[in-house]
Amino acid sequence: MPATLPGKSPAMTVMPEDAPAVETARPNAATAPGRRISIAGVARGVWRARWFISLRAFATFICLWALLAAWVSSPLQLPSPAKVFDAMVGLAAKGELLSQTLISASRLGVALMVATVIAVPLGFAMALNRELNTYLDPIVELLRPISGIAWIPLGLFIFGVGGTLPVFIMAYVAFFPLLLNTIDGVREIDRKLLAASRTMGITRRAQMVHVMVPAALPSVMVGFRIAFASAWAAIIAAELIGSPSGLGFSIEWYRQLLMSPKVFSFIVLIGVVGYLSDVVLRTVQRKLTPWADGMGIDQ
Amino acid sequence: MSMNVNVRATGGIPNWAKALTLPIILLVIWQAWAMTLPETSPAPAPLKVVQSFAELTASGELIWATIQSLGRVLAGFAIAMVAGLSLGVLMGSSRIVRENLDPIVESFRPIAPMAILPIAILWFGTGTPAALTIVAYAAFFPLLINTIHGVSRVDRQLIRAAQTMGLSRLRTVLVVIVPAAIPSVLLGSRLAMGVAWTAIIAAELAVGAKSGGGTSGGVGQMMFVFYAYSIDLNGIVVCMIVVGVIALLIDRLFRLVEHKLLPWRN
Repeated sequence: MPATLPGKSPAMTVMPEDAPAVETARPNAATAPGRRISIAGVARGVWRARWFISLRAFATFICLWALLAAWVSSPLQLPSPAKVFDAMVGLAAKGELLSQTLISASRLGVALMVATVIAVPLGFAMALNRELNTYLDPIVELLRPISGIAWIPLGLFIFGVGGTLPVFIMAYVAFFPLLLNTIDGVREIDRKLLAASRTMGITRRAQMVHVMVPAALPSVMVGFRIAFASAWAAIIAAELIGSPSGLGFSIEWYRQLLMSPKVFSFIVLIGVVGYLSDVVLRTVQRKLTPWADGMGIDQ
Repeated sequence: MSMNVNVRATGGIPNWAKALTLPIILLVIWQAWAMTLPETSPAPAPLKVVQSFAELTASGELIWATIQSLGRVLAGFAIAMVAGLSLGVLMGSSRIVRENLDPIVESFRPIAPMAILPIAILWFGTGTPAALTIVAYAAFFPLLINTIHGVSRVDRQLIRAAQTMGLSRLRTVLVVIVPAAIPSVLLGSRLAMGVAWTAIIAAELAVGAKSGGGTSGGVGQMMFVFYAYSIDLNGIVVCMIVVGVIALLIDRLFRLVEHKLLPWRN
């Protein structure tokens, strides 16, 4: 191995669990019976397992954080992981973590629903009707570069401080990826599918339901995931500036009260909720459009 | 050209006219609606927005604010570039580094840049460094992810060829892997610049909102001052348009660079 990868030897001495080493070790473990070797094999297997790698990466991260916190020695600027954990347990016990998450999540849900209900049918219409597209496309292209964040001051005027502003900002932010991906999805439907269905004498309506929607759905789902990610980023900004509740509000609120452990707790929560939601969306995407794989759409 | 002639021959409306129809109709409706309101109403109107734009440009305020915001974006982007590229090349070329850092990177990715702002304020106060932190954080992820992607997808044959010719690992990275990853890095830069521009507006807006205005400067803070102090909605709309135009220019500029540097891709 070192002969083919000359520069790799230093890394191998530091990290003996390098892949080629394991691949050569496995046949050994299989052919040679004996407890010692199989335990080593199991240990190596665990050491190389995905969950263990994540676990030790997090452990390292938390250790570094603890060291840094001890070195900074200002609990205001960088509270230790233990303190953040304590604060998190306290907030969870009071039900605050859950209630603020639910507030933000319900706003997100409403915004995504509004955006989907408008953007997906509009995307279908714009992709199928060239005339409509020439009329509407300029408006879309004029508005698209204006980020949702830039709407916040004007939105504050129109809606005031409250729950409507974040919903508006998120719906705006989610609208464009959904629309553009729907248009793309419909435009890139295989012509042969359409021709084949027409040859079989299918009605226009049935063609829509049984051919076009399933063919465009994978692209719509990709759009939905992008929309979710942008909305999730936007909600923090919108709530932080113009809302009296929600996750974005909470981090800023506790920052003003100088309760850093609580600020960090909510930031961790934002990361966890965002990550879990993406996992759920990926699963839904796989279950809902299992044919997307064959269409070369990146999951 | 032939299409244009064809359209005119059949008596249809040319496409550019169709494209302009709806925006013009909407502007006229907006203006008409604003004119029905009493003179003292703060509601924005197209003509007032144009007037406000002229005033803000003449006084130099708008240009100065834009330069300030752009300067921060560039500085934050530069920080993200250094960090994202070096870490990206490391993670892309070494599986061990990648496996071990991936969980950390993936768990930071869903944390919105704005969620970092309260920490940045605790660390650096409400000045420029806090804003820079947000921009650098926002731009870091697209750069990192795309660099990893570019580096790890380099044609194996090229790497083997380089190794056969006896290149050291470092030289292989510098001479073979990095150039091959450039298209991906450019794409990452374009995306990163886009989110960085959004992030600076958000940061300036929020820093302005949370520190009582004044200290941050830039287009975002200008918007906040218009909102909270002078209640000038026309000014806010001017800023929104500037935000959009700059975002568009950044996007086009990067596409142009991609086009010039990678002519074989188009």
